[in-house]
Amino acid sequence: MTPLVSVNSLSVAYRSGGRDVPVVREVSLEAAAGRTLALVGESGSGKSTLAAALLGHLRHGSRVTGGSVEVDGRDVFALPAPELRRLRGRTVAMVAQNAGQALTPSMRVGRQIAEAGGDIPVIDLLDQVRLPRPAELARRYPHELSGGQQQRVALAMAIAARPKVLVLDEPTTGLDVVTQRGVLDLIAALRDELGLAAVLVSHDLGVVAHLADEVCVLKSGRVVESAPTRQLFARPAEPYTKRLLASVPRLDDAGLALVRESGERDIRPRAVVPGDAPVAVSARDVTVDYGRSRVVHGVSFEVRRGEVLALVGESGSGKSTLAWALAGLRTPSGGTMTHESGDLARPAQRRPMSLRRRVQLVFQNADTSLNPRRSVGDAVRRPLRFFRTAGGRAESAERARRLIADVRLDPALADRLPAQLSGGQRQRIGIARALAGEPDVLVADEITTALDVSVQAEVLRLVDDLRRERDLACLFISHDLAVVRGIADRVVVLRGGVVVEEGPTEAVFAAPRHPYTRRLMAAALEPDPDARPPVEVTPDWADAAQEGDVWTDHGDGHRARRWRPADTSATPDAPDTPPTSIAEGVS
Amino acid sequence: MLSFVARRTAAALGTLLLSSLLVFLAVQALPGDVATQVLGKDATPQAVAQLRGSLGLDRPAWERYADWMRGALHGDFGTSLVSGKAVGGDVAQYLGNSALVAVITILFAVTGSLLLGIVAGLYRDRWPDHLISTVSLVGMSVPEFVVATVLVLCFSVALPWFPAVVLYGPDATVGQLLPAVWLPALALAVVMAAYIVRMARTSVIDVMASEYVTTARLKGLSTWRVVTRHALPSALLPVLHVIALNVAWLLGGVAVVENVFNYPGVGKLMLSSVQNRDLPVIQAIALISAVVYVACNLAADLGAMALNPRLRTRGRT
Repeated sequence: MTPLVSVNSLSVAYRSGGRDVPVVREVSLEAAAGRTLALVGESGSGKSTLAAALLGHLRHGSRVTGGSVEVDGRDVFALPAPELRRLRGRTVAMVAQNAGQALTPSMRVGRQIAEAGGDIPVIDLLDQVRLPRPAELARRYPHELSGGQQQRVALAMAIAARPKVLVLDEPTTGLDVVTQRGVLDLIAALRDELGLAAVLVSHDLGVVAHLADEVCVLKSGRVVESAPTRQLFARPAEPYTKRLLASVPRLDDAGLALVRESGERDIRPRAVVPGDAPVAVSARDVTVDYGRSRVVHGVSFEVRRGEVLALVGESGSGKSTLAWALAGLRTPSGGTMTHESGDLARPAQRRPMSLRRRVQLVFQNADTSLNPRRSVGDAVRRPLRFFRTAGGRAESAERARRLIADVRLDPALADRLPAQLSGGQRQRIGIARALAGEPDVLVADEITTALDVSVQAEVLRLVDDLRRERDLACLFISHDLAVVRGIADRVVVLRGGVVVEEGPTEAVFAAPRHPYTRRLMAAALEPDPDARPPVEVTPDWADAAQEGDVWTDHGDGHRARRWRPADTSATPDAPDTPPTSIAEGVS
Repeated sequence: MLSFVARRTAAALGTLLLSSLLVFLAVQALPGDVATQVLGKDATPQAVAQLRGSLGLDRPAWERYADWMRGALHGDFGTSLVSGKAVGGDVAQYLGNSALVAVITILFAVTGSLLLGIVAGLYRDRWPDHLISTVSLVGMSVPEFVVATVLVLCFSVALPWFPAVVLYGPDATVGQLLPAVWLPALALAVVMAAYIVRMARTSVIDVMASEYVTTARLKGLSTWRVVTRHALPSALLPVLHVIALNVAWLLGGVAVVENVFNYPGVGKLMLSSVQNRDLPVIQAIALISAVVYVACNLAADLGAMALNPRLRTRGRT
C-alpha cells in the first residue's frame, strides 16, 4: 500500500542573525492509513516543526532548505495557495498542542467547528467526540469549557471535513492523567472508525506506547531511531532512546530511578526518615475559600524534617491552593497551620522574617517566575540580601554562586538572563532561589510538569539529594502518581479539596484502597505498549464518610476515606464525568 | 453582562463628578475671583464686596458648586465676563465648529490608521510594513503645528486648493466652514493616526503569531476569513483604548491646529478665554473636556466587551 504521508529527507531552517539555523535535518518518514506514527523527542528536537510541515506550514522566518513532503500524492510545498488551502482540513488536519490557546477566544466553538468545512452537522461532530449536551455546548465560548472539553472540540474541528491524515501535536500535554486517558482513548477510537493515518507528536513515551504503531525518535532535528512500537520499547537500539525510556518514572519503582549515560536505571532506595525526626509543618483541618466557594475542605497533614510528602490530585483538587496557603500567598479560612517556630496561618508579609524564610515555594513555571530582565545570579542574590542570610555584597555574590553550584549548575551561568537558559536550568535556578533563605520546608508546586522527561528525572534527583543533604521537609505537589512514586515517602490523595486516601508510598501503591486513587493509578501511562492497568477500577462509588466516622484504617498510617459502591438508580449522571471537570475550566 | 455595563457606567459618572469638583476647586484656588476680574486692579474693596454680593460669591463654596452643577446639567454655565452672553450658548457654538473638524478627523484617522496598521502587521518585515512604519514614525515625531504649517504651504500656497485661514466668526454656517475643514482635519489625522498605526501593527503581529490563528490557517480558511473572523476581534482590543485616548487628545490637539488656521473652534475659544481670564468659560470647557474623556473611555470599555466574550459571559476569569 502506498503511504498517505511521505517525508523525503526534509530539511528546515530558520534565519537568525544572518545565518541559517537548521531545525529539521534530512528527515524521512512515512505514515499509512489506519496506522499511527509517533514522533518522539524533547524540546528542540524539531518535532513540532515537522508536524506543521505536514500541512505545508512553517513558522515566520523558517524555510525548507531541502527535501519534500508528500501528502496523498501531492507535494505540499509545491502546491499553489488555493490548493494548499483545500488540502488543509480536507486531506490533512491538525490538532494543536494546547487547545486552550488553539481555539479563537472570541468565537463560539460551534461556529469554529462549522467553519472547518465538511457536511457533517456540528452537533453530530460534538457527539462523535463524546461531549455531553452538544447543542448547548456548541453555543459556548472556549473559556467556558474545561481543558479536556477544549481538546475534544479541537478534535471535532479536525475531523469535521473527514481528512485522511490527522496530525496531533502533543494532544494531551497539559491535561490531567484521567482527562488525558479519556482523550487518548477517543483519538484511538476515531482513528479506527475513520481509518485515519495519524501522526502523533509527543514527548511523553507513555502516550506514545499507548497509541502508536511505529515510533520515530528525533533529537536536534535528526531521526535517531525508527522502529515499530513494541520493538522500540522492548529493545531500544540507540543509547539516546534508552536514556529517554529509562527517564520515565514508573508506578513500580521502589525508589528514585537514576539514569546512567548508557540508559540503564539504578533504583536508589528511599531515604529513611528517622522515627524521631521533628515535625516541620503541621496542618489541621485547613479550609481555604475563593470568594464564596470552598476549595479545600478540612485537610490535615504533617511533614517531618527530611521527609517528602506528596499531595496528588487532578486540577481543581485544591492541591496547589494548599501549597500557596502554606507559602503564605493565600490565607486559610479555617484550621491551623504551624511550623516548628511559628504560626503559618498568616499571609507571608505578616510572618516574622525568621519564619518567612523557613518556608519557601518553588513555582511550577520557572519561565514566568523569574524576572526576564535580571540575571539569574541576581534572582538568587535577592533573597540572600532580603533575608540577611549573607552579609555584604561580595559575600552574597559568593553565596549565590555556591547555591547555583549546589543545584548542579555551572556558577558561570550566574550572569545569564533567564531566557538564555534551558527549561531545566531555569527550574534549578528557581530551586536555588528558594534555598537562599535557608528554608527547612520546601513547597514544590508541580515543578517538573513543564519539563522534558530526562530533565524531569534530573530535577527529581536534585530534590531528593537536597532533602538528604539539608534535611529538608518537602511538600511535593503533582498530578502524576508515577512521578511521586520514586520521591515521596508518604502520599496524600486529594479530590475536590478533600483527602480521600493517605499513607506511606509503598503501602498506597501496593494496595490503593480508595476508588479515586485507583482511577488515578489506572490512568497513569507506562512506557510499555503491553502495560495493563495495575489495579481494578471501581466505576461507580459514592462517598460514605460521616461525622466522626470518616476513615477506614489499613494500618501503619495508611487510611482511606469511607466509600460504598453506588446504587446506580441514585446517580443519573454519566459515571465517567467527574464532578471536578466543571470547575476545571474556570480555574 | 448587565452588571458590567452598569459598573462601568457608574464608574464613569463617578469620575465625572470628581473631575467637576476638581475643576471647581482649581478655579477657587486661583488668586482673585470673578468680582476682582471684572472690576480690575483699581477697584475699591467696597465695590468688590458689592459685586460679590450681587453675584452670590459670598455664599459658601459648596453651595456655589451645587448651583454651578445644577446649572451645568441644564446647559447653563453662567455668564461670560468678556462678552456678557450666556457661556452655554457661546461654548456650544464653538464646540459645534470643532466637532465638525473632529468628526472628519476621527473618520479618516481611525479607519485609515486601522487599515494601515493591519496591512503593516500582515506584511510584517516586507516593504508595505517598512513604508507604513517609517511614515507613521515621522507622523509621530513631528508636532501638529508643523504638520499644519507644511500642509498650508503645500495645499493653499503652492497649490491653492484649500483656504489657508478661516475668515468667518464662530457663527459661520457649516457650508461656509466646510472648505476650510480639510486641512486642519488632515493635520490632526496625521498625528493621531501615527499612534494607532503603530499599536495596530504590533497587536496584529502578536495575534497573527498566536496558536489560534495558526489553527485557523491550518483549517484551510482563506486569509481574509482568518484575519477578519479570528485575528481582528482580539487584535483590536488593545487598539480600542489607544483610539479612545487619541480621540480625547483631539480636544487638546485641536487648540493648537485651530490657531494655525484661525478656525473658530473650541480650542481658539479656550486660548482666548485663558488670555482674558474668562473664568466661567474656562470652567465650562474644562468640564466638557472631562465629559469627552470619560465618554471616550466608556465607549472603549463597552467596545472591548463586544469583542471579548470573557467580559460578556457569566463565566468567571
